[in-house]
Amino acid sequence: MRKSAYAAFDKQESRAALLFIAPAFVLLAVFIFYPMFRALLISFQNFNLISAQASFAGFANYGKLLQDEAFGASLWHSFYFTIIVLPVQTAISLGLALLVQKKFRGVGFFRTVYFLPVVVSFAIASTVFRLIYNKDYGMLNIILKGIGLPALDFLSNPDISMLGIIALCIWRAMGFVMVIFLAGLNNIPESLYEAAHVDGAGAWQRFFLITLPLLKRTMAFVVIITTMDALKIFIPIYITTSGGPAGSTSTVVHFIYETAFKQMNMGYAAAAAFLFFFLVLIVSIVQLRLFRTDVEY
Amino acid sequence: MKNTAFVFLRLTAMAAIALVSVFPIYWMVMSSFRTHEEIFKYATLSPELFLPVKWTLQNYRDIFLDPSKPFGRYMLNTLLVAVVVTTLGLIVNALSAFAFAKLRFPFKRLLLTIFLSSLVIPYEVIMVPQYLLMRDFGWINSYSALIVPQIVWVFGIFMLIQFFSDVPRDILEAARIDGSGWTRIFAKIVLPTAVPALITLGLMTFLNQWDSFLWPLVVINEEKKQVIQVAISSFQSLRNISWGKILAATSISSVPILVVFLFLQKYYVQGITMSGVKG
Repeated sequence: MRKSAYAAFDKQESRAALLFIAPAFVLLAVFIFYPMFRALLISFQNFNLISAQASFAGFANYGKLLQDEAFGASLWHSFYFTIIVLPVQTAISLGLALLVQKKFRGVGFFRTVYFLPVVVSFAIASTVFRLIYNKDYGMLNIILKGIGLPALDFLSNPDISMLGIIALCIWRAMGFVMVIFLAGLNNIPESLYEAAHVDGAGAWQRFFLITLPLLKRTMAFVVIITTMDALKIFIPIYITTSGGPAGSTSTVVHFIYETAFKQMNMGYAAAAAFLFFFLVLIVSIVQLRLFRTDVEY
Repeated sequence: MKNTAFVFLRLTAMAAIALVSVFPIYWMVMSSFRTHEEIFKYATLSPELFLPVKWTLQNYRDIFLDPSKPFGRYMLNTLLVAVVVTTLGLIVNALSAFAFAKLRFPFKRLLLTIFLSSLVIPYEVIMVPQYLLMRDFGWINSYSALIVPQIVWVFGIFMLIQFFSDVPRDILEAARIDGSGWTRIFAKIVLPTAVPALITLGLMTFLNQWDSFLWPLVVINEEKKQVIQVAISSFQSLRNISWGKILAATSISSVPILVVFLFLQKYYVQGITMSGVKG
């Protein structure tokens, strides 16, 4: 009697659980897994929405991509962007976190202020920076000229246009990364610093011998998500320069967007997305390996 | 002596960075109150650059009254999509998170692995087929395209699982023996304990939707149904549009969010740290 009551309970429980999971599972299957599978299929097809015909293409899309200079250039721009953003943004954010880590009067104010840009959407930040960067009336150049420096034309000088976008992205993201670093810093036991202080370690020694090593896990997380987000940069490119001037800021996602939704070449775009996905995956795996840590505290 | 100098230096640096952080936002809001002529009048460093000389609301009037670019409509569209996605998302994601965190059922491990494996799929890869799917469903230019694919959020499920696992199973079993069904237990016992986590998740979902850009850009081509972020970006591709109007549009769509953030900051930051420290 008892036993069967339990069995009935268990059965009801599994039924309830599966029912609870069902909506999420269906949505996931239809909108994530099925498209992933279809993306793979499409990448092996000549599939252009304008001609509305799909035919099997084998590896032709992939082969063509490897020789496509525009794709190669966009890959390079994405990586160039990442190679600069990653160290600069990480260093600035860690610096900010260290500045506002200790509690003192007004620290909350500074934390909030540093975080404010995160709440401004990427599209809006890009729009505003585009106006600030304007050569004749933009605030940046008025200030630069005002203090006797040469004006910078971020929007139409191919040599520096990427740097303008980099500055905008760092401005927007540094507060976000700062918060992650703050959480990591607060996990380091105060007693370690006290012990180091007693042993006569200076501020720099404490930073390099305690803070940095014990921050390794947080650092790994920051480096990996920053890299992924940076490689996928799109919105500021689309809004500030649309890939120009002279293609100097076109990134991979911009390339995929243009190929898919301007040229309507779905097969080629899907193949580019897949190639890119594998590159990102490899980079992430390498980074995970590099950060594999034995430090426990 | 050395210490005071250090503290002074440090405060100066902090103030300088604070200035850099707020200045673009400040400039955006201030310029939105300027007349068209004023924005292009002061092109050298002067006090007039930092505060409007003749305050005006004309830019705001213009963007809301322009029938070809109905900004009020864009805001309502975005609000509608964001509210619906947030509500449905909280329900769907919390339900499955609860099941994964607390209930026993066959293939739990396998199902959870399947769910989590979707986290490695970058949106950029499925964007093209998702668009094709919307075409097949006839959802291009409809709010369904903006809402339905956005409801399930595995990261949110993952976050809630961690939260729900702190609820002791004894309480649930006791309620069970008293004759409550699982749906009731979920609604009456589990949800109330998870309110902070739900606020965090709700806030993040809402902000994601409010800021959403690439997906609406792809699936919505009809002027009237557009969302604000894309609408704003289309403002500036028009030639001869005044900066005042662009900046009024960006201000009105980010200042309310900034104010809400100031009140709910704790929850938002909690969301980031949860993803960062535990993830």
